[in-house]
Amino acid sequence: MRRTLLLSVVIVTALLLQTTVFADVRLLGARPELMFLLTISFAILEGPASGAITGFAGGMAQDFLLDQPKGITALTLTLLGYAVGLLRQYIVSPSPVLPVLLVAGGTFVGELFYGLVAFLLGQLDVTALYLFRVAALSAVYNAILTPLVYPVLRRAAEGSRSRKVMRW
Amino acid sequence: MALQNRARSTRLLVVTLVSISLVTITVDYREGDSGPLASAGNTALALISPLQQVVSKVTHPIGNFFSTLVRLPSIRRENEDLKDRVATLEEQINTATADLNRLHQLEGLLGLQESIGPKVQTTAAQVISSGVSNFEWTIEIDKGSDQGIGIDMPVVAPAGLVGHVVRVSANASVVQLIIDPDSAVAGRLDVTGKTGLLTGAGEQDMRMGLVDTTTDVGPDERVVTAGYRIPGVATSLYPPNVLIGTVSRVLPDSAALEKFITVRPAVDFSTLDLVLVVLSDGTG
Repeated sequence: MRRTLLLSVVIVTALLLQTTVFADVRLLGARPELMFLLTISFAILEGPASGAITGFAGGMAQDFLLDQPKGITALTLTLLGYAVGLLRQYIVSPSPVLPVLLVAGGTFVGELFYGLVAFLLGQLDVTALYLFRVAALSAVYNAILTPLVYPVLRRAAEGSRSRKVMRW
Repeated sequence: MALQNRARSTRLLVVTLVSISLVTITVDYREGDSGPLASAGNTALALISPLQQVVSKVTHPIGNFFSTLVRLPSIRRENEDLKDRVATLEEQINTATADLNRLHQLEGLLGLQESIGPKVQTTAAQVISSGVSNFEWTIEIDKGSDQGIGIDMPVVAPAGLVGHVVRVSANASVVQLIIDPDSAVAGRLDVTGKTGLLTGAGEQDMRMGLVDTTTDVGPDERVVTAGYRIPGVATSLYPPNVLIGTVSRVLPDSAALEKFITVRPAVDFSTLDLVLVVLSDGTG
């Protein structure tokens, strides 16, 4: 219950920030993707199941609230959260740089996947080069934001973690 | 065993979520903008937009700050463009001011022309350059014999007498200023009507000679050209009653045969720009 609440609060906050603060911040034609950052962070912290749920919920919320083609972000982030969560299980490194690298790589791949799906559905009309550029820039921006966001999320996740064994 | 179960349930979860996503995509894709999903999106948007407004109000300055940082290069470029524009506009303003000055000068010339007399033919000329020599006080004007200018024609400016033409080429002429040491102008004291001869002294004030010692001369008295006109015998170079200058100094030297008077020219020769050449005196 507490986790659901936490997830809702975090997702709504991320959405609000994405549509207000970062709506104005358009660096070189691209913006940070907070929902990607959120999904990857939760996947690192909580594992593949939590990553997939966060990605799905956040993606759906973003799709419905931001008047995007619905479902594509949800699909992307579900898979992304799951994949990063799985990947995290095979990496044993206490390095603080690891989340940054995972966020950067995950954002890049996720953006490309999103672009590919949107393109296949005829919802996206940009060149591959542009897509690559946006993906790379978003990855960089998210990586920059990671040291600011990740510790907050970790504290929130640890605080909300119940004593009971997690089923997901 | 538990771990495997967990992995399996996770996989199931992911498959479910992906399926839901795909269904959503399909439904949305087939229905377009009119379906229930679109209206659900609109409802969600309506719900969150007040929140957005509140947050936006708080964070807009922050966003502005960052976007300003990001846009610094373009702002700098804009700044340069604007500077260029300011420079251009300032130049235009200067040109306009210069034009206005020129207009005033031309108006002055027009008034001068009218004061000399409607019959007198004159032509306006632009000063091209001042004399190059330290010992000659001349100016060059942009009108010459092609415009009907001849030697000895008087040249005036709105402020007063300038000099007379000493050299003429096709499209330019040289004017000897009245402050040139070689120049001599017959002048008349305004108050007493006594005449004298004004000779140039270069940068210093002109000397007025041949004035009787008994003449009562006060400072700041105006000196105008004396137009001698003895028909058939001689005519003065300059038209009468053109201001030459004002008396600046009178030496109280009663022992001398003539008064020592200096006259400050009315025309500032260093800023001379437009002058009027008197082509004929209106009699011929």
